[in-house]
Amino acid sequence: MLFLALKNLVQEKTRLLISVGGVAFSVLLIMSIQGLYQGWSNKIGEYIRTVPADYWITQTGATDMFHTPSVLPLTVGERIATVDGVAAAKPFSGRRVAFEHNGRDINLYVIADDTENNVGAPARVVEGKPVPGKGEIIIDRVVARSENLRIGDSIPLAGRTLKVAGYSEGGYILSFSFAFTTKEDAESILQLPGATNFFLVTVKAGSNAGDVAERIEADPAVDAITKDRFVENNTNIVRDTFLPIILVLLLIGIAVGMTVIGLTIFTSTIEKAREYGVLKAIGVTNLQLYAVVVEQAITAAVLGYLLGAGLALAVSAAAGSYVPEFITEIRWWDAGWIFAVTVAMAVVSSLLPVRRLARIDPAEVFRS
Amino acid sequence: MSVVAVQDVSKTFGTGHTAVAAVEHVSLTVDAGDIVLVMGPSGSGKTTLLSMIGTLMRPTGGRILIAGRDTADLGPSQLSAMRLREFGFVFQTFNLLSALTAEENVMMPLIAAGAGRKQARMKARAALEQLQLGHRLRSLPRDLSGGEKQRVAIARSLANEPRLILADEPTANLDGKTGRDVTLLLCQTACIENRAVIIVSHDQRLRVAAKRVVTIEDGRLTAEEPGEHDQHCRMHAPEPRSHENDR
Repeated sequence: MLFLALKNLVQEKTRLLISVGGVAFSVLLIMSIQGLYQGWSNKIGEYIRTVPADYWITQTGATDMFHTPSVLPLTVGERIATVDGVAAAKPFSGRRVAFEHNGRDINLYVIADDTENNVGAPARVVEGKPVPGKGEIIIDRVVARSENLRIGDSIPLAGRTLKVAGYSEGGYILSFSFAFTTKEDAESILQLPGATNFFLVTVKAGSNAGDVAERIEADPAVDAITKDRFVENNTNIVRDTFLPIILVLLLIGIAVGMTVIGLTIFTSTIEKAREYGVLKAIGVTNLQLYAVVVEQAITAAVLGYLLGAGLALAVSAAAGSYVPEFITEIRWWDAGWIFAVTVAMAVVSSLLPVRRLARIDPAEVFRS
Repeated sequence: MSVVAVQDVSKTFGTGHTAVAAVEHVSLTVDAGDIVLVMGPSGSGKTTLLSMIGTLMRPTGGRILIAGRDTADLGPSQLSAMRLREFGFVFQTFNLLSALTAEENVMMPLIAAGAGRKQARMKARAALEQLQLGHRLRSLPRDLSGGEKQRVAIARSLANEPRLILADEPTANLDGKTGRDVTLLLCQTACIENRAVIIVSHDQRLRVAAKRVVTIEDGRLTAEEPGEHDQHCRMHAPEPRSHENDR
């Protein structure tokens, strides 16, 4: 009966366009929001993933880089380095620092690029100097573009003035971004005499990582967090902040799609009630008629999905080039579940027309 | 065995003092090859009788047997299957599906009965060509004349090679000559293929197509007389073939 569903759809081109457009808008909304969520989640974890460490050692209770400050004396690192199974324990210093530029507050997460210990370097430098020199800073390209900061510009930071020496990538995290200075400049900006924020521990080959972590945590002042867990803890900031909003927007998107398909298929069913009555009269079963309605809804939904997904990709690419903060990542998995939601949306929105169909009395066809 | 046996059938709408008896104690038998014209004024109960024979409405009294099977014993899905395979319907307003071409309209009952699209298309094409509509296969109903629409409806009604064709006022929306031609075409086709036909109409000119004419008034059969079918159709109709052999 698919051919009847297709013919019915094509017969009413305006209604088909409304159906497809409504679903496309819904898919565009859902996919863009999901893409943003995924993009931001990835960005927040991207830099941390590049940092060479098996464990992040934090002050007890600190689980990520942003929520709870972690300050550890350097002596803790010396102690950890002696723990059986630890290959190295290197200090990692960084925290949020704001400065004003063109009347706006710009937040950076300044990290000490410790070339001696090979810790704290940018993930990728895409323009300018790969390593900051004294009095220099490497900032993320996204913030450079959005705030119109060029190489050679000066930034006032914690009573000091640093010159932009290069742009890095992979360090933009929503309301702030990672920036990199020399270890000496960072110590001056972060005001951490004899202390650091974290230690990055690598485990000796052949040692059991879990056992090593337990031995480190014998010191009640510290927690040992696996790299994956630490990435997740930081990524959860996006989840905790945006997930409720995203869920609401997703529900709105689904409601829009369902309403549009439901109404257009329902009006089509009412208009064609007599024809469905004829089909019932000649012996087409209710199930076959339901299939026609559901196939109509699914076809409109699939067309809407294809259009909406195409638009989402185009909008993401276009918006990303004009608004640097618009970082999206549309994964196959997301495209897959959004497709499943779209089809489910079509099936659910067919229920009302199907109920109407069930009530059509085939004997009505004998009334002229 | 009769194709249709209507045994003391009644139909009352409503209950109590608002009850209206549309059909009362009607009995009628229709055999293969029979062409029965049911005549009567508006509101006489002829369409109600047709709806009950077509299993679209259940009688409130009596029994209707289709090829020996009591329709009261059948559930909705069995009745649907019976209508699809045993009956062909021709309606007053043609009732073609507006989104489908003539060919696709005829394909519908075939596909609903499980035929493949290719096979359905071949059969539909052959049926339409037989009814001189070979040049209208791809036409939508809105582009067909009234007579052409009714011929498409006839082709659709014959698609699944039914035992029984039920026609409700098939000439009401056609001019006199077209109506007569279309009805003769229906009856000749049915006669050739030995199918039973029940036509409900108040159009006296259809007597030429019927083998029997029954009159219904106030829900009761009041008269039965021979039609004029033999005079008009015999010369066009070859020897009827047994319907049982078609199946």
